[in-house]
Amino acid sequence: MDFDGLSVDQAPPISAPLRFFLTAPLFGVLAGVLILLSDAQTLSSRFSSDSIAITHAITIGFLSFVMLGALTQMLPVLAGVKIAKVDMVAKISHFFLLFGTLFMIFGLEYDFSKLILSASLFLGIGFLTMIVSMLIGLRNIINATASVKAMITSLLFALIIVLLGMHLLASHGTGKFSELHVMLANIHSVWAIFGFAGVLIIGVAFHILPMFYVAPRFKKFCKQKVVWLISTGLFLWLALNLYFESYAIVAKIWVALFFWAFATTVYLKLNARRRPISDVTVWYWRSAAIFMTFGAFVWAINDFYDGKYIVVVSILIGGGFIFSIMSGMLYKIVPFLVWFHLNAKGYMSIPTMNDMIDKRLAKTQFILFIISLVGFIISFFLPYLLVIFAITFIASMIILEYNIVIPVLIYAKIIKTKPDFDMSMFTMKVEK
Amino acid sequence: MSTIKEYLSADHSRCDELFANMEDAVAKSIDSAKEAYEEFAKSTERHFQMEERVMFFEFEQKTGMTQGPTAMMRHEHVQMRNLIAEMGKAIDAKDKDKFFGNSETLMILMQQHNMKEEQMLYTMAQQHLSAESDRIVDMMQSMIVQ
Repeated sequence: MDFDGLSVDQAPPISAPLRFFLTAPLFGVLAGVLILLSDAQTLSSRFSSDSIAITHAITIGFLSFVMLGALTQMLPVLAGVKIAKVDMVAKISHFFLLFGTLFMIFGLEYDFSKLILSASLFLGIGFLTMIVSMLIGLRNIINATASVKAMITSLLFALIIVLLGMHLLASHGTGKFSELHVMLANIHSVWAIFGFAGVLIIGVAFHILPMFYVAPRFKKFCKQKVVWLISTGLFLWLALNLYFESYAIVAKIWVALFFWAFATTVYLKLNARRRPISDVTVWYWRSAAIFMTFGAFVWAINDFYDGKYIVVVSILIGGGFIFSIMSGMLYKIVPFLVWFHLNAKGYMSIPTMNDMIDKRLAKTQFILFIISLVGFIISFFLPYLLVIFAITFIASMIILEYNIVIPVLIYAKIIKTKPDFDMSMFTMKVEK
Repeated sequence: MSTIKEYLSADHSRCDELFANMEDAVAKSIDSAKEAYEEFAKSTERHFQMEERVMFFEFEQKTGMTQGPTAMMRHEHVQMRNLIAEMGKAIDAKDKDKFFGNSETLMILMQQHNMKEEQMLYTMAQQHLSAESDRIVDMMQSMIVQ
């Protein structure tokens, strides 16, 4: 059996996850600025270049960056899996994703085909480097728990949506769209949201909620079957789309139902949690559950309105559900990583996690974020209001960046001083 | 009798419960939380010693691995003992912020630690020590905390 993952120095170097985490809110700011500068009318169509650019500033720039960063950290702990050369993989992946996302955004905004084509290539390299490395690490897993199975499923969905995404983006670059373009774009977006992000969140929640909040455990049925049922639903949806399009709604309701059930379960479990603390991460979990409930509902009925409300669905699920959970996670994981790595290096007098995050600022950030989300939905009906909420969104992202930079600065400051204890005996195998 | 893995995993859950009780007590009134704290600290210390003095010891004897996973688990025990001591000081000083700052850190550290043990180390221990499982559980149960 493999012992890797059991020693602190087998945890990835702190730079691997932080690299991704610190970049994410900056893309949030960029997305906010693009919303501010764009015309509300064009944003109500999901196929305008503006919409695609802004969507991906958020889905790749923020959401995927946080998810990939978190995975580098969680894989060793949740699955006991070591990503080979994790530091290098993280650096390469981060570099290509960073420039790939920027190229994509500006390529689409300025209709510059060479930039769009490079973006397709860069994003492919960036994502695949990370996804394939993780899947290789997960290949030899012996004791696959429900969370680990969910992670693998999510990464397989990620693999498919990245390949689809590369193709779709390249079509924008060449200006040649196949007949299947719209359908592929649908598969790409639905599988990305529910297959990649959704399944990953559900899998991690199985562990996180009972662990960190001492909430009741998820039922066996939930842990063993839900991911499988959702995946089946997503494949069924694909098949129906290809052959019996008018029945695709059945599969949609199927998937929506499970996400709605998950959202309700999360809310109830938080109510029944044994830990009294109620911090920004708890609020984010709760807001995620509420937005998901509405999101699942609107997504399911959207077909009856010719897909008119798809932008509202994206805001509710992409912003309200996934974005909320990712933001909440940043507040927990960044200060913990700082504490953990300093402590492991022999520093004893470290500020506590609560000292690293200013509670009032975290609360302000949360409130601004929620106002922005609700505002974006209102702006769908009253476009002239969009400017206000673009500004609140930018503000919330700037504060989020500030809130997670502070712990990192604390780390940088303390690491320059001499440790209280010599920990060299514990650094047997240092990951390079 | 339960296996090593079952016995120690159940003890993790028991410590989690006591942890929640303690936080609950501090949230209500830090002045009267000492008892709940002591109960958590005592149970956790007992758990550490059951591992360090019995299970880890047997595991190391059997496999010859003294610098492997058990060394790292022992190290994390030290980290957790320090945090628990800090929490005790915070209760004495009636400093709620300091208490919750440390308890939050302990919670995450403890859960990561438990997960590594339950998913890997206990499974390994069960495999290597299956013949002596009953004896080891018995020794852990009857151990007197030092």
